[in-house]
Amino acid sequence: MLLSYLKLAWRVLWRRPFFTVISLFGICFTLVVLMVATAVLDHVFAPIAPEVRQDRTLGIYRARMTGDRMQTSSMPGYLLLDRYARHLPGVERMAIFSMPRMAYSYQQGSRIRSLIKLTDAEYWRVLDFTFVEGGPYTDQDVAGGTMVAVINETTRDRFFGGAPAVGRTIEADGQRFRVIGVVPDVPILRLVANGDIYAPLTTAKTDAYRRELLGGFGGLLLARSQADFPAIKAELETRIRAAELPGRQWKTLTAPAESFFEFVAGSLFGGRDEPRAHPERLWALLAAAGFLFSLLPAVNLVNLNMSRIMERASEIGVRKAFGASSHSLVGQFILENLVLSLVGGAAGFALSAVVLRALNGSGLIPYAHFTINGRVFLYGLGLAVFFGLLSGVYPAWRMSQLHPVQALKGGVR
Amino acid sequence: MTRHLLRLVWNRKRSNLLIAIEILLSFIVLTAVGTVAVFYVDNYRKPLGFDVENIWTVALEMNEEGRTSVTEQSDGEAAPPQAAAAARERQARRALVEQLLLTLRDMPEVEAVAGATVTPYSDNTWTSDIEVGGRRYRYGASAGTDDLARVLGLRVTRGRWFTSEDDAAAWRPIVINDRLAREMFPGKDPVGQFVDETRPGDTAPDPANRMRVVGVITDYRKAGEYAAPENFVFNRARLHDEKSEAEPVRDLVIRVKPGTAADFEARAVARLRSAAPDWSFQAEPLPQSRESALRLWLAPLAAAAIVSLFLLVMVAMGLSGVLWLHVTQRTREIGLRRAKGATVVNIRRQLVGEVMLLTAVATAVGLAIVVQFPVLEVFSAVSPFVYGVSLAISFACIFLLTAACAWVPARMASVIQPADALRYE
Repeated sequence: MLLSYLKLAWRVLWRRPFFTVISLFGICFTLVVLMVATAVLDHVFAPIAPEVRQDRTLGIYRARMTGDRMQTSSMPGYLLLDRYARHLPGVERMAIFSMPRMAYSYQQGSRIRSLIKLTDAEYWRVLDFTFVEGGPYTDQDVAGGTMVAVINETTRDRFFGGAPAVGRTIEADGQRFRVIGVVPDVPILRLVANGDIYAPLTTAKTDAYRRELLGGFGGLLLARSQADFPAIKAELETRIRAAELPGRQWKTLTAPAESFFEFVAGSLFGGRDEPRAHPERLWALLAAAGFLFSLLPAVNLVNLNMSRIMERASEIGVRKAFGASSHSLVGQFILENLVLSLVGGAAGFALSAVVLRALNGSGLIPYAHFTINGRVFLYGLGLAVFFGLLSGVYPAWRMSQLHPVQALKGGVR
Repeated sequence: MTRHLLRLVWNRKRSNLLIAIEILLSFIVLTAVGTVAVFYVDNYRKPLGFDVENIWTVALEMNEEGRTSVTEQSDGEAAPPQAAAAARERQARRALVEQLLLTLRDMPEVEAVAGATVTPYSDNTWTSDIEVGGRRYRYGASAGTDDLARVLGLRVTRGRWFTSEDDAAAWRPIVINDRLAREMFPGKDPVGQFVDETRPGDTAPDPANRMRVVGVITDYRKAGEYAAPENFVFNRARLHDEKSEAEPVRDLVIRVKPGTAADFEARAVARLRSAAPDWSFQAEPLPQSRESALRLWLAPLAAAAIVSLFLLVMVAMGLSGVLWLHVTQRTREIGLRRAKGATVVNIRRQLVGEVMLLTAVATAVGLAIVVQFPVLEVFSAVSPFVYGVSLAISFACIFLLTAACAWVPARMASVIQPADALRYE
């Protein structure tokens, strides 16, 4: 039965190729926009190398201090992480990294701008970088303030024209580093892992950062398993609530442990007083944006479908007269529309790949390598089905309501 | 005629409703993108207020302790810095900034240097508001040393920029822009006026905190060409002031002689680094900052424009397809009219007229929605003029679009022969 419907759907598609092409254009374009957006979001949030253990990683990305008539919020400071986030129960490893900062190098009259990120040695064990050359710096390097650095491939190209870099020195922000490792480029949208130059925390020009509660650093907590998350969060909250504040004017300090998605949601929707993350609101926002965007294409397709279905009034009349139920007719038309959407979706995938490649090549977002991976493909498939239903249900329902006599006469308003 | 068309449209209300919704949504999309575009164009032709060529900015990162450092520690790890010590350190930082300015001034390519807090095209913003005489004024603010007007080419129209005359002043000298001067002192000479924060229940203002206007500049649109004009206030930044508690400026602005090569930057930064080895410097030619800032303004608009262009192409194709199908369904009706003596032109007019009527209804609803934005001042930076122009453009575009979509089916319909059409009756 399904097979014969599918056959019929295919036939109907090519009965009026002009209209099919119009419909396909709309579906394809809509899905391209949605799929590109999905690929970009996937690029920001999904567990992509080197953040492969994201499922058991929590981050400390934001801190907020409030007092009478004032508040300050930013990234946590080194002191906060060092004092309160170490040795939490259930945490296997804990790493501290700084926000990347722009560092300038001048070499033979030309300028190289690099993002420099200061980290501890644990950073390399929490994240899973594959080294192209050499390896990471060690705990001894960090303790002793050794002037060594790990650079990414683009930085290697800029300084050494792509030649092997390990053992050679680079100058950045007036400091000289010996290169000990080279890692692949990490997209700039990955807050945790991106950087051009990675160097030990202790190579900072002054040690003032060690006494700051707020500003410039992030923490990573690698838990033994996801089941430990609630306990870790609770323990960190307890410790920070009892923290010493920089002066009497300050009353409260908060710095939650959360996933990166929760962090973004929390920064967008976080209330003034409560640090709670609102991941469900971010999901709702994304869904609403997608729905609003698909609204116009959907109405367009509904219009086309309505007209085409009314054109088939006599066919429907005959089927009804011979006893076809409304349900089976609705099913048939929704199926036809789904087939159309999936054909459009296939074209959409092909076109999205082209658009994403163009985006990667444009250099608009440094080190972006947007791709359609398995996750994005599944989301795209879901979007195609959703769009097919959105634009197919109303015409199908309208059609099933046709009175056979009227339908056979062909006079439909 | 219109009433007759209205009835025809009403008779097919269900399918026409869907078409009207489609036109309405397209109209809203068009107005949204159009408003941003018109907003940009409108801003672009207004004065920027500063020069861009031959200017470099250098952001200073002092790597010092900030206000979130823990000063009272129980474990005795570090001695708590005293307030006096902190003030001494601030003083030392101000002296070092002054020394950096002198170091740069020594370079032969340099015409003038100055310190500033918020440089053009930077990500930093400083906004503030003040209540004077029961009215609240919002403004963007910055601070600059006495040479900043010369370095950035700020155009002082009345009064003067900061000078050493202000050293002994018992108030805070400020320079404001034309826009704020007109708003705050309508019909008065703003120069010499005091600006006092007056809140209900406040006692007499602290004299040292009173602001006094010493000059008026044309404008300072820090965010660049596409940003809306805003009120602006410059404060005076002083580096050699024993009593001051102020933090030093964190940006240097350098004006070089025309024709200075790009390698100047490397030499300037080398000098700065050797003068302050613990600090970090980010130097940027202003034209380059301008380029990247403008790209940041344009990229979202470009993306939105491309997407809406495709949306409109899709709507145009869909609409002409639907109208075509409607015409084929109405063959008998049209044939009958032809048989009763309607001319080809009559038929065409009727069909295009129906669609125009539908568009008018849809855009009227759209207008009612869009007009809420200026009425409720959702985006206060966007003037009613900008909304007006963008609405006019959207109306023109949407009517052109639907007329074009109706034209082809209407032409097809008008060549229907009555005999063919009525054969089956």
